[in-house]
Amino acid sequence: MNFGQMLIANGGVLIATLGIVSAVILSGIGSAKGVGMVGEAATGIIIEEPEKFGRSLVLQLLPGTQGLYGFVIGLMAMGSLRVDMTLVEGFYIFLACMPIVFVEYFSAIYQARVSVAGLTILAKNEEHATKGIIYAVMVETYALLSFVMSLILLSAVSF
Amino acid sequence: MAIVKMSNFSLFTFDSDRDELLQELQKFSYVHFTNLKKDESLLEQGLSVLEIPKEIEEVDEDIKDVKYVIDLLKKYDDRETGLKGMIKGKNSFTFEELESKVNNFDYHPMIKKFRVLSERLDKLNQEEMKQKAISDELKPWKNLNYDVRSLKNFSFSSIFTGTVPKKLVEKLKKDMVELQKTYLEVISEGKDEAYILGITSRDEKDVFSEILRNNSYTNLSIPTETTVDEEYSIVKDKLSMLKEERKIAFDEIKGMKDYLSAFEETYDYLLNKKLRYAAEENFMRTENVNVISGFVPTDHVADFKKAVEKTQENVFYLEVTEADKDDESVPIMLNNGKFSESFESFTLMYSLPKYNGIDPTPLFAPFFFAFAGMMIGDLGYGIIMLIGTALALKYFNLDKGTRLFVRFLFYVSFSTMIWGGIFGSFFGGVIPMKALINPATEYQKLLILSIIFGGIHLFYALGIKAYINFRDGKPWSALFDTGFWYMALMGGIVLLLTMTMPLPAIAKTIATVVMAAGMVGIILTGGRDNSSVAGKLAGGLYSLYGISSYVGDFVSYSRLMALGLSGGFISVAINMMVSMLFAKGIIGIIFGVVVFIGGQAFNLFLSVLSAYVHTSRLTYVEFFGKFYEGGGKGFKLFRNKSKYINLE
Repeated sequence: MNFGQMLIANGGVLIATLGIVSAVILSGIGSAKGVGMVGEAATGIIIEEPEKFGRSLVLQLLPGTQGLYGFVIGLMAMGSLRVDMTLVEGFYIFLACMPIVFVEYFSAIYQARVSVAGLTILAKNEEHATKGIIYAVMVETYALLSFVMSLILLSAVSF
Repeated sequence: MAIVKMSNFSLFTFDSDRDELLQELQKFSYVHFTNLKKDESLLEQGLSVLEIPKEIEEVDEDIKDVKYVIDLLKKYDDRETGLKGMIKGKNSFTFEELESKVNNFDYHPMIKKFRVLSERLDKLNQEEMKQKAISDELKPWKNLNYDVRSLKNFSFSSIFTGTVPKKLVEKLKKDMVELQKTYLEVISEGKDEAYILGITSRDEKDVFSEILRNNSYTNLSIPTETTVDEEYSIVKDKLSMLKEERKIAFDEIKGMKDYLSAFEETYDYLLNKKLRYAAEENFMRTENVNVISGFVPTDHVADFKKAVEKTQENVFYLEVTEADKDDESVPIMLNNGKFSESFESFTLMYSLPKYNGIDPTPLFAPFFFAFAGMMIGDLGYGIIMLIGTALALKYFNLDKGTRLFVRFLFYVSFSTMIWGGIFGSFFGGVIPMKALINPATEYQKLLILSIIFGGIHLFYALGIKAYINFRDGKPWSALFDTGFWYMALMGGIVLLLTMTMPLPAIAKTIATVVMAAGMVGIILTGGRDNSSVAGKLAGGLYSLYGISSYVGDFVSYSRLMALGLSGGFISVAINMMVSMLFAKGIIGIIFGVVVFIGGQAFNLFLSVLSAYVHTSRLTYVEFFGKFYEGGGKGFKLFRNKSKYINLE
């Protein structure tokens, strides 16, 4: 059996798993990076004004949700994993994971940037800090949309 | 709707009555002054600006002093904090109570006492630092058991005390091998340097000091007149004495810690006093008469008149008229029922309406309630929220803003429980329940439901726009901006449905006609504000192009389903981990309980946060975008927001 034949015989489950782990890995990295960025910036505020911890925590958590969406999609895709999947089925699951792989990674980082900017509102004009939160949430819309799409793709067919 | 009706007042009063008037008005508090300085015509008529910089400066000075004392005393604050403190909350006063309390509290001598004490502390600290420095300097010479004074009095020898780098000590010794009448001893060693004592005779002095210089020698004098040991113990005694004295000073401050709340009350009172003086900068004056103008809620006009009359010993002139509806300078105050009031903060955060606009709070509150619950969507979470907020509302003495926020969460908990029941979710399925819609399998139903809710929300918003147009006597605008859009959107939706659902053919025809009519209407009227015909047409086409944004609006509501779903799945994943742990025996069960409580609490927090911000977005972007224009400015009570107490 050469490599091509092996791929055709066993590739389905491998490719599907590749999709699942990518979803979890990349959204996780994105969120970790994002949460880290905001955390670093928030630390600077807390030195002088520790009472702003609660609100800065909210801003820090916002880019954290992407990782959770990736995790949920990974979990769902895992449910349809079978050892004897065909290559086509495997590729389908792989592709269904793609929206979440890309959008979650980048949206987490862009959202973190808005959150960092929002921290300056918190630092200088605390009353209006919630507006910074709303700005950051605008970015999350697209993370949610890709989540919905991956979800629909995964549930649309049953192997 | 619930914008409080305002009345405009103008008051001419004698200068001598001003202080008492303002005091009385501050008790009354529902006054918003207009800054007359901006009105240049008054200046031209010969009125001058009222300025009282001296009083403000004095109050500022007092505020600074009181704040200083509060910061000093805060370290010894032993009032209850944490849960007990929250239950007790801030003390409540009426303005009269506060005023008489502060007037009976002679705080100036106390401040002086604090100043003296802290000056003493500063001095003690300085002295301590000085002594510590001496002790540091003495430390390396501790092994030297001679009277330092005697070292200075040799007539035939010279003494060198100082440091050389440790690594040069060997070289130094080698360099001075040829010197006969010179002695060198290393007294002690520090991190990088060695402390040395050198004795040399007069004729070798120059050579020796040359050698020392070549070895990076630094001269140090030993700060004592007796032996190092003796000096050391003197410094030690001084330090312990200083410590003692400092403790006495601290104890003295600590002894006055019970005055902390009195100072806090004074602080809040002084801020109000400052506000009173600051308000005077809004007024104009002639030689003897003050001109004051501003707004009072119409409901309070009678009380306002009474408050003014009470304080006027001389004649005065007061005119109160209903505020003009379209006057943009009218300050805005909202007044809603208990339910809607809890959602007012969202309106405040966006922008207050103008005086001729409408208060959107009661309009979006029911949707906010429903949407937020749908995004959390778990019966268990709802119950936790209900219990937590109900206890807080009942037992905690919260200030107004916090109370409103807790009450908001209290209301949302009901919606959360209802949706949790519909989804059949109790902490992510700990107790199996029958679901009306199971989000995990019937996500499509949920998605359609979300979009339908979105449709209702959007049509409702357009409807409000029509209502505003009707109210303002512009029924044609209502048709153009709402009616045509209704036709275009509904026609379009039905047309889309005919593609997926078996509807009679006639439905398709009707839908097409209605949609086309609506669209033509939009093209013809959408640019009606432009002057040229071409401009009107281009504006109309551009308006129609806006239909693409409706697609985005509808899709945006899919977050209703997505957030509920992701929260639910995370909760299920936590339970999965917990059940794996439970299978591992007793230690597993202990860890399992910790993971369950921690994980679910985290997910609850995250769900509530997501629901809060995403529902805000739906309200601000999708809903407010259709009809709401803010831009009003808030009514400022003639009271300062108090920091340490509740002022009624």
